Amino acid sequence: MNESGLLLDARGIEYIVDGKPILSGVDFTARSGELVGVIGPNGAGKTTLLRTICGLIRPARGDILLSGRPLQSIPHKEKARMVSYMSQEDVVDLGFNVLEIVLMGRYPHLGAFRGESMEDRELAGRMLSYVGLPGFENRRFGELSGGERQLVLFAKTLVQDAGLVVLDEPSSHLDMRHEDSIFSMAQELAREGRAVIASVHNLNVAARYCSSLLLLDKGSVAGRGEPGAVLEAGALERVYGVKTFVSRSIGTGSLMVGVVPPRASRKGMRIHIIGGAGSAVNLTRELHRLGFVLTGGIAHAFDSDEILWKSLGIEHRSIGAFSRITDRDVVDAARLVESAEIVVLCSFPIGMANVGNLELASRAGRLVVLKPEKGDVERSFFAAEAREAFEKLCRGAECTTREALLSMISSGAPQE
Amino acid sequence: MKRTIVFPVLFLSLATAIVLSIGLGTVRVPPLSLLETLLKGVGVNWLPAPLERDATIIVFLRLPRILAALLVGSTLAVCGAVMQGMFGNPMASPEVLGVSAGGSLGAVIAITAGIAGRSFLALPLATVAGAVIASAVIYAISSLRGNVSLLFIVIAGMAVSSLFNGATSALLMFSREHEVSQFIFWTMGGLEGRTWMHLAVSAPVLVPCIAVLAVHSRELNLFALGEHGAASLGMDVEATKRLLLILCAVATGTAISVSGPIGFIGLLVPHFFRFVVGADNRILIPASALGGGIFLILCDLLGRILAPPLEIRVGIITAIMGSPYLIFLVVRSQMRRGGRL
Repeated sequence: MNESGLLLDARGIEYIVDGKPILSGVDFTARSGELVGVIGPNGAGKTTLLRTICGLIRPARGDILLSGRPLQSIPHKEKARMVSYMSQEDVVDLGFNVLEIVLMGRYPHLGAFRGESMEDRELAGRMLSYVGLPGFENRRFGELSGGERQLVLFAKTLVQDAGLVVLDEPSSHLDMRHEDSIFSMAQELAREGRAVIASVHNLNVAARYCSSLLLLDKGSVAGRGEPGAVLEAGALERVYGVKTFVSRSIGTGSLMVGVVPPRASRKGMRIHIIGGAGSAVNLTRELHRLGFVLTGGIAHAFDSDEILWKSLGIEHRSIGAFSRITDRDVVDAARLVESAEIVVLCSFPIGMANVGNLELASRAGRLVVLKPEKGDVERSFFAAEAREAFEKLCRGAECTTREALLSMISSGAPQE
Repeated sequence: MKRTIVFPVLFLSLATAIVLSIGLGTVRVPPLSLLETLLKGVGVNWLPAPLERDATIIVFLRLPRILAALLVGSTLAVCGAVMQGMFGNPMASPEVLGVSAGGSLGAVIAITAGIAGRSFLALPLATVAGAVIASAVIYAISSLRGNVSLLFIVIAGMAVSSLFNGATSALLMFSREHEVSQFIFWTMGGLEGRTWMHLAVSAPVLVPCIAVLAVHSRELNLFALGEHGAASLGMDVEATKRLLLILCAVATGTAISVSGPIGFIGLLVPHFFRFVVGADNRILIPASALGGGIFLILCDLLGRILAPPLEIRVGIITAIMGSPYLIFLVVRSQMRRGGRL
């Protein structure tokens, strides 16, 4: 390993099959201590890239350095001591048992005509226990489940003991517990000072465990860097061709990527939603799915309503958390309210900070005030003038439930 | 466990098979005569000299024939094990992949061109050449794409077989009658009349081939991980594949120049031993070598003693013994999940 810990340095990789470029000009590096996730849609070139950097296939152009040495100049067995590869290829079932498969990982460490030593066997046994398959040594490999096979092949990779570990979709057959365990072990390998490269389909897994990501799109790099920088709704939509939203997991704090459900295309009706304290979340989701053009506000930053509007790309107005809605904010947001055919006032507590939203609602052409329902936040008032303003507002508005509102606008909606 | 007792059992069986095979036949030779002949052969005169008749039968008829059976049986079984491992295909063997058919075509060319009678080396060289050409075709087909499916390689082998068999039949159509009967007799596979000369020509080829194949059994194991899996462990997959395939072709060609093409051994013997000792080729290959030899010695013996004085040719015996086992395998794989053999 050289001083910078740069284990892999690949530049300008091009790979062409039948005149069709599979990889074009990919630069890729991996340092000691990194767990790099390679992501991208099916056919983006992930497996091809991994095979190229392991020296299993030869790129048409480009330079690959392993620990500073040109890949092609390293003898086969020595290369296998430097980089290990867990492939997606199926192992042919000729009747090998689990121990025999794991011990194959020792091949590059054995001299000619030498068999595996007692230590090699002990190491293989330990690694089987480590991956969670203790006592599996004499089981027939072909009779294991798909997930167990992947864990055995991972153990084989561990036994190979290389500085650069390349995993091609190591968890494609694993349930979430084993997926978590295999990526935790991969993180462990990185902490030991190795570099781990894994192609991953599940973006949530990639975000959670990888220290950096490489996003491939049709053989070219469409993004690289920390998960937060790469997993961005716009970039993902361009690459995967589907609308996504990126949020944070409440449990782990890591990024989560989801696909936005397809919208019914419905022209015309604009609806403005006034919410707060998460009161607009359900209604927003429902109307968004039905395909209405939505606007929102005024919301406080980091309110769940604001987070949702942001991740769905809904035009909205927001102000700083806990700050007070000023007249200026109302004037600013009024354009959205005035151009909406319907303005919906959700059920949320009203105090001095957000009483301005009532003023905003009064500018509506047609105002619908939602009645608080089971599970909603109560519409309480923390200021006398707020209650007054609300009662005044109600006089010129329709008061209804969310259900009734939805059936009303979806039946009466197809207005050209 | 199984592995520790399998070799003593095999060596014991081999010794028994040899003793039985020397003793039994149209003329019975008592074991004592064998002992007497052996001792005389190494220059020890503790026992009276054996009967002249017995000594002649042992030395010039049965012993070369038994050793030929041992060599041919070992070779075909080892080549079967190697091809099964290399193509990751339990259905592979020299005959399934068309290597034997290539050797036969070489033989028929040598016979019809009249060169087979001229030199002892002509027929072996022709069968080896035919087997090598057939292997080259199989290698080219299997290298077209990275990972060729199990069924595909078997079908390709059948196609190669049919092609070579077709060419053989076409050649036979234009042959003289005695050549046709000579060839047809040869294609049935038999060991009668094999002499020390046959052994002198084939053993120097077969023994080193089997030894080199056995030395590569560790590499052969890695083929189970797929070509990329094997390459990622530091094996030069293409070079290994070419070496193993050419050794198999030369060995198969040489073996069938001795005995004619004998079916089922290459397919079934490794299969049986994989079941007994497991898939590790470091054990499977020596076990198959011994087992294939024993099996062919016993089949040949059976052919000699079933309907004396008529001899049933050994190729017919192996086919009759082998087919039920193959049917059993197919049925068992159908009963279990996945249709695996």
